[in-house]
Amino acid sequence: MSQLIKLKINGVMEEVSIEPWWSLAYVLREVLNLTGVKVGCETGNCGTCTVLVDGKAIKSCLLLAMKARGKEITTIEGLKDKEGTLHPLQQAFIDHFAVQCGYCTPGMIMAAKALLDENPNSTEEEVRAALSGNLCRCTGYVKIVEAVLAAEEKIRIGG
Amino acid sequence: MAELSVVGKSVPRVDALIKVTGSAKFSSDVKVPGMLYAKVLRSPYPHAKIVSIDTSKAEQLPGVVCVATGKDAPDKRTGSATLDQPVLARDVVCAVGDPVAAVAAKSLDIAEEAIELIDVKYEELTAVLDAEDAVSTQPTAVVHPDLFNYEKGPFGHRRFDPDRPNVMMHYSIRRGDIEQGFKEADLVLEDKFTTAMVQHCPLELSTTVVIPEEDGSLTINASRSLHQPARSVMRTVFGLEPSKLKLAMDYCGGSFGRGAVFEEPIAALLAMKTRKPVKHVFTREEVFLRGGNRIPMIVYVKDGVKKDGTLVAREMTAILPSGPSEAFTGLVTRNCAFGAVGTYRVPNFKWDSYGVYINGPTTGGFRGLGSTQVEFAIEQHMDMLAEKLGLDPVKIRRKNILREGEANATGEITHSIGVEECLYKMAKFIKPEEKPEGEGVWRRGKGITVANKYTLAPTAGGCRVKVCADGNIALYHGAEEVGQGADTVMAQIAAEEFGISVDRVKVQPKDTLNSPYAMGACSSQQTFIVGNGAKLACQDAKRGLFERAAPRLGVSPDELATKGGEIYVKGMSDKKLRIPELFTGYAPGGYGSYTPGGEIIGNATYVQINTPDNLETGQIDPEAAAKGMRLNTSYAHSAKAVEVAVNTETGQVKVLRIGVADDMGQPINPKMCEQQQEGGIGMALGATLTEEFMLKEGIPLNPNFTDYRMASVNEIPPLDNIEVMFAPAPHKDGPYGAKGFAEGVMIGIDAAIANAVYNAVGVRIKDLPISAEKVLKALKDKEGGK
Repeated sequence: MSQLIKLKINGVMEEVSIEPWWSLAYVLREVLNLTGVKVGCETGNCGTCTVLVDGKAIKSCLLLAMKARGKEITTIEGLKDKEGTLHPLQQAFIDHFAVQCGYCTPGMIMAAKALLDENPNSTEEEVRAALSGNLCRCTGYVKIVEAVLAAEEKIRIGG
Repeated sequence: MAELSVVGKSVPRVDALIKVTGSAKFSSDVKVPGMLYAKVLRSPYPHAKIVSIDTSKAEQLPGVVCVATGKDAPDKRTGSATLDQPVLARDVVCAVGDPVAAVAAKSLDIAEEAIELIDVKYEELTAVLDAEDAVSTQPTAVVHPDLFNYEKGPFGHRRFDPDRPNVMMHYSIRRGDIEQGFKEADLVLEDKFTTAMVQHCPLELSTTVVIPEEDGSLTINASRSLHQPARSVMRTVFGLEPSKLKLAMDYCGGSFGRGAVFEEPIAALLAMKTRKPVKHVFTREEVFLRGGNRIPMIVYVKDGVKKDGTLVAREMTAILPSGPSEAFTGLVTRNCAFGAVGTYRVPNFKWDSYGVYINGPTTGGFRGLGSTQVEFAIEQHMDMLAEKLGLDPVKIRRKNILREGEANATGEITHSIGVEECLYKMAKFIKPEEKPEGEGVWRRGKGITVANKYTLAPTAGGCRVKVCADGNIALYHGAEEVGQGADTVMAQIAAEEFGISVDRVKVQPKDTLNSPYAMGACSSQQTFIVGNGAKLACQDAKRGLFERAAPRLGVSPDELATKGGEIYVKGMSDKKLRIPELFTGYAPGGYGSYTPGGEIIGNATYVQINTPDNLETGQIDPEAAAKGMRLNTSYAHSAKAVEVAVNTETGQVKVLRIGVADDMGQPINPKMCEQQQEGGIGMALGATLTEEFMLKEGIPLNPNFTDYRMASVNEIPPLDNIEVMFAPAPHKDGPYGAKGFAEGVMIGIDAAIANAVYNAVGVRIKDLPISAEKVLKALKDKEGGK
């Protein structure tokens, strides 16, 4: 029953053999070993599996891998630039102590990236709205919101 | 104290870079060639006899390698204070979620299919589901009929009660004369408070990967805290000696006390039977059922006070229901009492707590280890007393706070108590005397509380350091990194001791075999205990370093010091050598580097002893106490303040502003302390307002993140309305004066919200969570004159 499909992940075309019921999160983690994509609930509530699909933040545990055919997928592993420099969001998460256990971090950063790509002038309220589907048990969200706002400022001034 | 250069500074976390790039390795990311996938079939009943198990269909499914049931496992029970937990159920299941059979298959899909093919016939038994029923002398059912013959386990405390067959621990404190105390009181007030079952909700699903080695030893990756206790459990079940068992301490996706349940033996059983690596990942539902939960405690308080607010007598009874696996409930049953003795002076004190089995989900260790629930009761009661006496909430607390050097209700001498300063800061922040204006259906109110959290004893924590040829330090410490920043704390301490920057300290991967022993991430102990171990290990390494350098510099070792990778003669900054000079062959083109005298290593274990208390009186030997012996390692203190808005039409409670002030002794890394404080706020807001793992007749109703609502970013007040402050009271034995405090951060927030709700609308919610439904019902009852 398995099928061969092509997925464009972090700019590279990958050919993978999948079962039709496998989620994108499962394929990214278990088949392609992109373990920066996390899984915390498999019901779309926690957001640790958030990746970008055609620029939109998607909970990859809820998307069948089949449905991602022909789309551009970006995971945390694809966020550094060509020189290996961290994305401003990654740097801001370090600088502003937005990381604790680190399990929600990749999904949080991807959700924030989708927002900032769309609107680099987001307010605190807009940042909160964009992160409201991503749970974190460690931080109380304070430093995460601060980090996203700081990264946004850096992106705005072209830093 | 000499001026600190790295300790006390907010240096970036040493684990931040690999976590923002997604390359940090968690146990759930581990994949090994030839690995099998495990699934566990669990009981759907709270209490039932297993009549038969037919595994034949599952065994015939292609891709299934092994099916195991209780009879395949060693006939050993595991656990904490009482060994009560079989590897897989044998004849009876005692809770929904009890493991009955396990499958190892070539893929997860096959394993999932296989467990559905296992046919178990049950005969339902009467279940005991209510804590007050279970604790009685005539309970509806007895969870472990053979309890009194169970072996004693290695962690925690037990004291059976011959008249109460479900009680696994009864702890008492007796101080002064309680009857006389109540006679002297001008006001006596009593009440009952209850709390909800709360899940830790670590975002990483509990995972075990067991790799059988050719020589019969096992390597295990387990996403948990308490790896050393888990090692001990594996030894109990399988007889594996410490050198035959290596539990890797990977990064852990959140703990909050989740390490109290031990299901590693299931995956280990499958791995040993198949001789193949086995990975077992819990579903989120399984985390709820078997991950351990906060104990839904029932707390009775009776207080006697003088007109001026002076507490003269306090009598408390606490009932702590645990599932059939005790999971540290015995420990919590004793230790939750410290929440009642750590803050206030109570001359006449009577305490009884009962840890009791019910046929429910596992509960036990959870951030706060029982103090949260006990102080939820006390901190509301303090406000209730104040109101009756016409005192303000700050004044009544200040009046009764213990002073440095004073004996608390266990006889332990108080040391390092910053609570008054915390309270002062929070009173200034919230201004409880100024009643806020409401608007429309929204009424506003303020609440303030204080809190304490002990760090347990006895305990120990070790560290080893190696001086590398480039002058950098390789650090092998035993503390678990579960997100709280233990790796960074230890690196900062090593950097401080060697006078180098943190990036020159390399924290090494940890496991139970190669790393020095430390008890683990529980009771907020690692900064204090392992931190002291790290400091001592560095001092040991420096001694070795100076012995090597002394002959070359023509001085004695005690004339030397080190800074920035150089060893110099104290007071003579030009008489020095670089650490690499002590290594042969370090020069470019050299064949490697060694030191003829062997590696320069330092090694230490810090041991915190205690004076054992008496389980019947809770009192420590006064002579030992006078000599400085303690019951616990230390106490962290705090104060919390909130302003809420309550909707009088819907009962909804919104937290508008929140402030916390914490006494953690010397902060090692201030920003990381803030992380704990803010994280405590987030966790407490969920646990206070929405979180409740609910059951109906023993059947879980909401074991998932759709129906169980932890706080999202939406529940957090705007950034400008959150204030976190420090009020450090350094501890004489803590490293640089530091204390652990990561559990205390959420204690008292629930009661502060309850007090604020009362302040806003005049209804007192004594049962967690403070849901809109409860507030609305209370408002209606009040209107109806009930």
